[in-house]
Amino acid sequence: MKNTFIGLLIGLTVLFSINSHADIETDKFQIMLAPAVAKNTAGYGVISNTGDSADTLLNISCDGATVMLHKTEIKSNHAHMHHMKNIIIEANSSLVLEPMSYHLMLSELSDVFFKDRETVTVVFEFKHAGIVEVEVPIVSVFY
Amino acid sequence: MLKNILAISVISLLLNVNIAVSGVVEMPILSGVGGDFTAVDSNGNTVEFNGYAGNVVVLAFGYTSCADICPFTLGYLKQLYNKLSSEEQQKVRMLFVTVDPDYDTPAHLKGFLGHFDDDFIGISGTKEQTDYIVSLYQAEYNQLSAIGMPTHNIRRVQPKLFEEETDTKEDTATLFSHSVSIYLVDKEGFTRSVEYTGTPKVEFRDKIKKLLRE
Repeated sequence: MKNTFIGLLIGLTVLFSINSHADIETDKFQIMLAPAVAKNTAGYGVISNTGDSADTLLNISCDGATVMLHKTEIKSNHAHMHHMKNIIIEANSSLVLEPMSYHLMLSELSDVFFKDRETVTVVFEFKHAGIVEVEVPIVSVFY
Repeated sequence: MLKNILAISVISLLLNVNIAVSGVVEMPILSGVGGDFTAVDSNGNTVEFNGYAGNVVVLAFGYTSCADICPFTLGYLKQLYNKLSSEEQQKVRMLFVTVDPDYDTPAHLKGFLGHFDDDFIGISGTKEQTDYIVSLYQAEYNQLSAIGMPTHNIRRVQPKLFEEETDTKEDTATLFSHSVSIYLVDKEGFTRSVEYTGTPKVEFRDKIKKLLRE
């Protein structure tokens, strides 16, 4: 009887941990229209983890460009850029990508990035939530 | 009662004077920041900074392969510039000094800056000229990768080692860290204020207007 109870407990724990993956939502994603001669451009938006457990952003990809997560950090009036990897988004938290902070660094740009109001698909891969695809507009915005 | 009213009036007067004094925009000459230099502008002309005398100059450092902070700064400067009247714009020069002169040729700078405003002037030159300008403004820049960073590595979360790659100039995007200050220089070439993109644009515009009136 005792063994059955322990087995049931372990089973429920495993089942709970499998189903308890984080939920990911994205909001306000946009990619800056690249100047005609530019090699790179940036993307901004918000990734929210609405689940009750942390999740890890493992990878980002995008058709027509190479992409990675960068973070601009200002120290003593000096801008440093860091390549961020395996970013953990805690439960009920958001990762805000905005100028002078976290951003998508896009390079090897195809023609679409030089066309205002086009859209591209950005694919985020999370440890628990899996693949999250986002349609992101190319916009001509000056902050 | 009368004594109290008098006391309050005196305090109010003092406070008003204080507010008036604190409302004054002081823009002293920042000794040791800025000075004359020789470089090449985005039209390919050799220029001397003193040649801009008679104009108010707004000067920033950056490079065109920068994806975040430089386009953001130039967007800020575009909006700042648009807050000036066309008459005022004719007396203001917006300079963007590249820290990557190897890649940012005058023609390339012209194409990049034209995305923001055709009036913006790119400043390029030799590495020695760049280093000299940077030192004049007590700014800094550092190349983040010893060699050009292969852009096809950027896709990977864990990039290959740089030395595993065969670089060509066309395939690389050299990355830099650099100062983010924006320098405001008066019509005589003296640096009068150091701002950044966090400065409210109206406040920055008013400083430009003040220098234009001098």
